[in-house]
Amino acid sequence: MLSVRDLKVSFATRQGELRAVDGLSFDVGAKEVLGIVGESGSGKSVAMYSMLGLVRDANVSISGSVKFEGREILGLSDREMQRVRGGEVGMIFQDPMTALTPVYTVGWQIVEQIRAHTEMTKVQATARSIELLGEVGIPNPRSRVNQFPHEFSGGMRQRVVIAMALSCNPKLLIADEPTTALDVTTQAQILDLMERLQQSYGSSIVIITHDIGVIAEMADRVVVMYAGRPAEIGKEIDVVRYPRHPYTWGLLGAVPRVDSKNSRLVTIPGTPVSPLDVPDGCPFAPRCEYRMTICDQRPPLHGSDDHLDACWLSDEQRLQIRPTPEGPEARP
Amino acid sequence: MSDEVLLRATDVVKTFTSRGKKLGVRSVATAVNGVSLEVRRGETLGIVGESGCGKSTLARCLVQLLPVTSGTVEFRGVELTGLSRRQLRPHRREMQLVFQDPYASLNPRRTVGDIVADPLKINKVGTEDEIGERVRELFVTVGLDPSSLRRYPHEFSGGQRQRIGIARSLALNPLLVVADEPVSALDVSVQAQVLNLMADLQETLNLTYLFIAHDLGVVRHVSDRVGVMYLGEIVEIGDAEEIYDAPMHPYTEALLSVVPELNDTDAPRRERIIITGDVPDPSDRPTGCSFHPRCPAATELCRSDKPELIELRPGHLVACHHPRNVA
Repeated sequence: MLSVRDLKVSFATRQGELRAVDGLSFDVGAKEVLGIVGESGSGKSVAMYSMLGLVRDANVSISGSVKFEGREILGLSDREMQRVRGGEVGMIFQDPMTALTPVYTVGWQIVEQIRAHTEMTKVQATARSIELLGEVGIPNPRSRVNQFPHEFSGGMRQRVVIAMALSCNPKLLIADEPTTALDVTTQAQILDLMERLQQSYGSSIVIITHDIGVIAEMADRVVVMYAGRPAEIGKEIDVVRYPRHPYTWGLLGAVPRVDSKNSRLVTIPGTPVSPLDVPDGCPFAPRCEYRMTICDQRPPLHGSDDHLDACWLSDEQRLQIRPTPEGPEARP
Repeated sequence: MSDEVLLRATDVVKTFTSRGKKLGVRSVATAVNGVSLEVRRGETLGIVGESGCGKSTLARCLVQLLPVTSGTVEFRGVELTGLSRRQLRPHRREMQLVFQDPYASLNPRRTVGDIVADPLKINKVGTEDEIGERVRELFVTVGLDPSSLRRYPHEFSGGQRQRIGIARSLALNPLLVVADEPVSALDVSVQAQVLNLMADLQETLNLTYLFIAHDLGVVRHVSDRVGVMYLGEIVEIGDAEEIYDAPMHPYTEALLSVVPELNDTDAPRRERIIITGDVPDPSDRPTGCSFHPRCPAATELCRSDKPELIELRPGHLVACHHPRNVA
């Protein structure tokens, strides 16, 4: 469905080259949910926006390859890109207040998008927008369609944004922190809605988040990003239960758990590296407690076909540091 | 932890009056609706709830940053409500705040050294030199380099700024630290550093925390006892372990069930209870139990009668007509 190869995004700034994304490769299969997790500044959002031609900065340079259904979409003209965006690729943004314009009714905004991508008449598109609002669980869609975004609560607004993203039956849905601005009970409603819609529409989803819990709940596969590079890629269950990269170990250990009392959180010393100053070797090395001399060289993304990581530690070293739990599913 | 009560709130109400939706009609929003609680010396009391539930307003009322509409707040046995600013001052030294946003809570035009020295200067604690010494000591305590005293807040990362906020709150050796969402603006790896720091400080300085957060994992991690707020009321309060393992209020139960979890063990996941709808408008409260319009277990009784917060297990209070996990 979507195949990204060696995507690099950098910005020319006064302080030098800012490498926001530095060699990201991944695939999204049909009907698959891919989660991209990372802390702020890890380049997860920039990667998605640059893929879709949404980074308009004059100082940006983007290289690599992004194929959507076999067709190269990086470097498409604005006009061609507009057809892809919002049509075959739907988008859900983090902040539902800024994703909707406050000066038009929500119905107007959905109708506009439908008409930009299909041949529907205004009447048909209005009917479709009412239907969509109903589908995403907005009560009284017939009257709500004529209301303005400020008349909706945060959760309801995010439903409108989802309705908009789904309006043209996208094959791929990109959701950037779709629940970060929401409370936990509303988050549950939205995640549940996304799951149901994904099943009925059969779209693939790329979900970008800093919350590894959301990933564990939603994603089939996970990309863990650090400093613009993938640290680890694998099936959700493999990454969460048998994480291989020291950064993933830290990330998982740092989450305070609801299901059990943890006496002390694992911390990763220091702060994330500045994208202006990413080391040539492993970007995590300055914070890594298992740092070795070889870490001055950039580790390749390696491993078995469906669980990759970028770390120089050998399998034996990792087993010593972090023994895999015994059991039928234990990995080497 | 001892049984000595440091702070006691009784039936605290805070309302805000605003111009209503209709012209000429005033609307009254009850942000905190009759909260009673105790904070014991040396413990961490966590207050958890969703946005708009009144947890921050409650915190501000407890430390007298906002005047309460009715009810009383006692600190070390002294009634604080109704005291003048001057009379409050000696008590204020003992209760300090850590704020949510490490960007907004530090003045960008002043050096971090001056910011941390402020409470000492205002309270005229020691000479210039003694204050300078104390500030350096505080920087070390929170894990910052004292050589960065002359730098400005923008030169620090979010986690470091939060450490500066913590240093400022500790300057006067307070008894109680009220932390309002101290880690919600931080990335998870930095959040863990700040939480560990707060735990260490509590142990070495024998601090009492009132810790307000919306993140249920964070609250479980830090708290000895937890109060769950919904629409300005405490619906359940008690020992943290007990509340997380066997919640009695249907709201707590639903809240805990929907937190996204890492299923990294084979233990079965809690069944997700997705509550529908949105939190009601605090200026238009439902009759009876505040939670009844969204509650899966609501009955006629819940619509008409407001449940009292009562002790169903030792030290575990619930306001519900149909509590769970009672036996």
